[in-house]
Amino acid sequence: MDLQLALIFLQQGIASGLVSGSVYALLALAIVIIFKTSDVPNFAQGEVFMAAGYVALYLFVFQQMPIWVVLPATLLAAFLAMALFRRVVLDQVAKSAKDLVYLVIATLGLSYVLKGLVRRTGFGDTPRSFPALVPTDSVMIGQASVTLLDLAIFGTAVAVMAAFFWMFNYTKTGRAMRAVGMNPKAAQLVGVDLRRCHMLIWGLSGVISAIAALLISPKILMTADMGSIVMLAFAAAIVGGFSSLPGAVVGGFIIGIVENMVGLFISSRAIVLAPFLAILIVLVLRPQGLFGGKLTIKKV
Amino acid sequence: MADLLEIDAVCASYGRIQALSEVSLKVPQGAIVALLGSNGAGKSTTLNTVSRLVPVTAGQIRFAGEAIQSWPSHKVVSAGILQVPEGREVFRDMSVRENLDMGAYRRNDAAGIRRDLERVFEYFPKLQERLQQKAGTLSGGEQQMLLIGRALMAGPRLLLLDEPSLGLSPLLVQQIFAIIERLNREGLTILLVEQNAAIALGCSSYAYILENGEVALEGPSEHLRRDDSVRRTYLGG
Ligand SMILES: Nc1ncnc2c1ncn2[C@@H]1O[C@H](COP(=O)(O)OP(=O)(O)OP(=O)(O)O)[C@@H](O)[C@H]1O
Ligand SMILES: [Mg+2]
Repeated sequence: MDLQLALIFLQQGIASGLVSGSVYALLALAIVIIFKTSDVPNFAQGEVFMAAGYVALYLFVFQQMPIWVVLPATLLAAFLAMALFRRVVLDQVAKSAKDLVYLVIATLGLSYVLKGLVRRTGFGDTPRSFPALVPTDSVMIGQASVTLLDLAIFGTAVAVMAAFFWMFNYTKTGRAMRAVGMNPKAAQLVGVDLRRCHMLIWGLSGVISAIAALLISPKILMTADMGSIVMLAFAAAIVGGFSSLPGAVVGGFIIGIVENMVGLFISSRAIVLAPFLAILIVLVLRPQGLFGGKLTIKKV
Repeated sequence: MADLLEIDAVCASYGRIQALSEVSLKVPQGAIVALLGSNGAGKSTTLNTVSRLVPVTAGQIRFAGEAIQSWPSHKVVSAGILQVPEGREVFRDMSVRENLDMGAYRRNDAAGIRRDLERVFEYFPKLQERLQQKAGTLSGGEQQMLLIGRALMAGPRLLLLDEPSLGLSPLLVQQIFAIIERLNREGLTILLVEQNAAIALGCSSYAYILENGEVALEGPSEHLRRDDSVRRTYLGG
């Protein structure tokens, strides 16, 4: 491979990687905000993402609703589904079982329920694509070719993440969320309504997943199994340290770029290995992840 | 004077372990009342039933005449009952400033919050010097000051103090208790949990002694200080 081609590949890999990476980053963010506050890896995050995609598809394509109704309705549905799951199912499970394992199993249950629901409707039988809301004309950035849709995906994802970081770091509600993550007992002692705070966090996590779904579904074939993309988001979260929000975002972009680089420079068949390669390298060099704090041994 | 807090035959348990059986105590408006007892006697549990972190299985808790034993914890805070917990329960990765802001979580009166922040700085000048420092990196004494400051930021009517002297040097204990007495003189009602009976009996007007989740003894602090059995068990002879 000559240098000229390598340079083009490099630029294309970064550009495409940032686009798919923005979806991984969003989903990783959704996973990490829940993990930081509930200590539970939400294994249903991918299915929430998938189901939100189908809600949008149903409203837009089958019900022919205008897009300005479809978008907020989808986000609201994702918010309510996740907030209610936290309030009705998890609070109930937590009351009768002290061990966190049961909560994790409950999220697995949710993932099967959502998948089953979508399968039952039959919409998932034929792979479909959500119509693109932004033209898919190509533009060149440097020597990389991307579509306007790609730019919109990246731009929206970055804006959503920036808004979320602002909320988390500079508002009273965001501060309370961080407080719950650090010390739930102390948070209660200053008057944080723990139940409401958890509902809000799970709801927001649903909204972020739904945004990811709305962004990527014009580019992929939707199936009931599209939630398996969440493995890449978990990889991103692990690379970032699993409890760091900036880590989740950077991890998402790294996974996206590594994936595209492997596809371009090695082989498209090696792409599935890319995230594991990234995890392996990061964990060997920095076991706590890129943005993780000091390693602490948890007593069990 | 009227009782601000009344705990009336309260029972509480952790699973099958009964931690409190029919504990009754009263905290009059404006007083410092001490709650003493050895490790595991149920002192923290008593405070946590009031803060509504531990469910009450029987009995009643009244604050300013209102039954609060089935309230959620945030409502108790809004009503003005603030606990300063034992152990260093600060928000470790937040700055001192953010910890203090969290104390005012349930308030919206910006002017009042600013006034209380000034007041906290007046009591604990150390905190003002370290506003941007992460709370987790403060010394034990500074963390204790921060915990009290955080509770004061809520504008409390009743302070529940859980072993404020724990792990502090004698000099720091003196400083902390000077501030506790000053807060009380300025009108704050305080329920004080302590293992250091000498100092607690010194600053309180009335005291209860818990043993195995039951009130074993109670009386004016001055009497308890002279009581032989109290001297032997809690004051070291
Ligand atoms: N979360 C819990 N789960 C189970 N048992 C508990 C829990 N918290 C306290 N206990 C038990 O309840 C009893 C009373 O505990 P509590 O913490 O109220 O004691 P304490 O008087 O505050 O003691 P110390 O002076 O050591 O702080 C103890 O036997 C303790 O083991
Ligand atoms: Mg205790």
